[in-house]
Amino acid sequence: MSTTIPRPPTDPAEYDAFGCDPNSDVIETPDKVSPNIRLTRKVHGSFDVTMPDGRDVRFWGFVDPNTSGGDRTWPSPLIRVRQGQIVHATLDAAKNTHTIHWHGIEPSTVNDGVGHTSFEVSNQYTYQWQAKTPGTYFYHCHKNTVLHFEMGMYGPLVIDPPSGPGLLFERHPADEDQATDLRYQVEAIWSFDDVDPRWHELNHSAGLCGEDAGLNRFEPKYFLISGVPHPRTERDPRVIVRARKGQNILLRSINATYSNLDIRIGLNSTIVEMDGRPLRTNPQLGTFSKPIPVPAKAVTNLTPAQRTTFMIHNVQPGRYEVTATYKDWITNRPHAAGGLARTWIEVT
Amino acid sequence: MRRRQFLQYGGGLAGVAGLSFLSGPLLAQAAPPPIEVSLRIQEADVEMVDGSAVFMWAFSLGTGKPSVPGPVIRLKQGQTVTLTVQNLASTPHSLQIPGMPGVSLGPIAPNGIGSVTFTVGLPGTYFYLDPDRAPLNRLLGLHGAIVVEPAAQPPGSPATPYAAGQATPGVRALFSALGNHARFPGSPWQPGRDRIWVFNQIDPRINKLAEAGDLAGALDLTASFLPRYFTINGLSGVDAAHDEATVPRGRVGQPLLLRALNAGLATHSPHIHGNHVFTTAEIVESSHAVRVLDNIIEEDTWSMPPLMRRDLLLPFAKPPEIPDAAWPPRQEKFPLIYPMHCHNEISQTSAGGSYPLGLVTDWIIEGPL
Repeated sequence: MSTTIPRPPTDPAEYDAFGCDPNSDVIETPDKVSPNIRLTRKVHGSFDVTMPDGRDVRFWGFVDPNTSGGDRTWPSPLIRVRQGQIVHATLDAAKNTHTIHWHGIEPSTVNDGVGHTSFEVSNQYTYQWQAKTPGTYFYHCHKNTVLHFEMGMYGPLVIDPPSGPGLLFERHPADEDQATDLRYQVEAIWSFDDVDPRWHELNHSAGLCGEDAGLNRFEPKYFLISGVPHPRTERDPRVIVRARKGQNILLRSINATYSNLDIRIGLNSTIVEMDGRPLRTNPQLGTFSKPIPVPAKAVTNLTPAQRTTFMIHNVQPGRYEVTATYKDWITNRPHAAGGLARTWIEVT
Repeated sequence: MRRRQFLQYGGGLAGVAGLSFLSGPLLAQAAPPPIEVSLRIQEADVEMVDGSAVFMWAFSLGTGKPSVPGPVIRLKQGQTVTLTVQNLASTPHSLQIPGMPGVSLGPIAPNGIGSVTFTVGLPGTYFYLDPDRAPLNRLLGLHGAIVVEPAAQPPGSPATPYAAGQATPGVRALFSALGNHARFPGSPWQPGRDRIWVFNQIDPRINKLAEAGDLAGALDLTASFLPRYFTINGLSGVDAAHDEATVPRGRVGQPLLLRALNAGLATHSPHIHGNHVFTTAEIVESSHAVRVLDNIIEEDTWSMPPLMRRDLLLPFAKPPEIPDAAWPPRQEKFPLIYPMHCHNEISQTSAGGSYPLGLVTDWIIEGPL
């Protein structure tokens, strides 16, 4: 004797507007206030990245039209603003529709870049938000995100304290910890990613509106850090960290994969920030977290879209290994095609 | 919209016999009354978001409507519970509450009844599930959430979801600040103000084998699990975003506790827009016991491996990056609506595409403070 559990009744128009036919009526930015900083990100439809086996894989991304020579970068160019600044960020969607979601940044609904709660952008829209908490974020397209994110439509975003890069956050008199050095002289921003080349042959709107595009099947073949595929990560200056004795190193790590990521750093470090929130206990500010010490070579797990920032104080000369293990979201084992990227911290 | 069935201590729903019980602040000496909970297991065809149907096993409360996940059961610490399970399915089934020792019954033969009486353990968020042929029976629908609330709130202290001896300094500091701090203007957390988010994934090939009676084959296939549907409280996409029992709702200053549980085999990576959350409890991997955390980290994305349960405080704060000069908004109208979705974006699909008809819902800020 079998019974039926039906779906709840849904208005077909709402069903379509949620996914297949989202609102694309772009409005003028509401409640506009004067910005401290203006920036633009324009969608770049297609460029190739050559993988270590010689295969060219197609990517999409955002470019900064105000910067020359920046038209083939992946991940998309870094956005760096300061705590307190009001940001007006214009998306130029070029052809088709896209959005930008400012991941970890929490603006109003129309500035959040999600189609089903606001609109997808044809032509242009200017997003408005005010940078509040120093830390590590990223921005990405939130249209058909499963595909557009895999296609590379993301870039790192850092909020610095008012004094700018070089300081993690400003010390507050009520911080319980008054001792830890919050300055850094060397910084790396590592965006970890994995690439299934099959997905990169698909159309912009693949899978929408009921089509089975196999987007539940993800079998990555390439494992990358900041757009550099392993094993080039072992020598590429975009990934390798070089420091001098006695310096403090800040490692900002973004899991832009569809994998459970295990990071191992070959020397002692401290997690000082996660998801754009400094780890600090401060009753006046209403924060209740503490930095997390990580012994050399211990595993730190990052779930997809999580950011974890490590500080290494007073580094001593040596060559220290950093590995990232990319594990399948179901088996929790490294992917069949390797699931490893390695790089180095070189201290002289 | 659909209303889920809730079993409240003494709620008087079908299948529940209990004493009537006053809500509101409880006196320390009030012992929670004993309660009887009757669950039924039956076979069901469950309709997916794309209109297809899959075979599952479903719990119901007594003769109430079966659902996947099963109905939410709310208990009090120290309460004596007599749990009865009637198996109307054609295969044997069992029941366990991982992390609550001694609660184990079965296997219960088809058309059989099993029963166990136990004392409710430490407050927190639990699963009840069928542990047999693991993970098959749980994966195919036999799981539900149990919320254990403290027997009493300490007088003169802010309410927390945990017992006095269980709450850490970090949890006490957070809950003391809610409604009582410049960062968290509004109200303290109100006991019972929560949402339960049970995640699961469905690979219809496995359901098909189970329907045909090939349970060994179905179990074998879980080793090459390739899910095509991703659910929160049994719903996907627009259905979950419209489900009253799933969607957190309130004004700025009305904090709410999220209780997230993953019944499936994939590690989810829930990401919430609009506010960061404060993770207050998770489970001890080896014992499945509730572990209340002291280092209260703010996250916008958190990991949910199989069988993980996490409590996360959603502060219902003014979304921080709305410029102070643009708050409250004048041109943009309330409600402000924000999604919560798994950021392993594979989970945002149904039947291989159809973004975002997967593990997603919304949460709603209805107005300013």
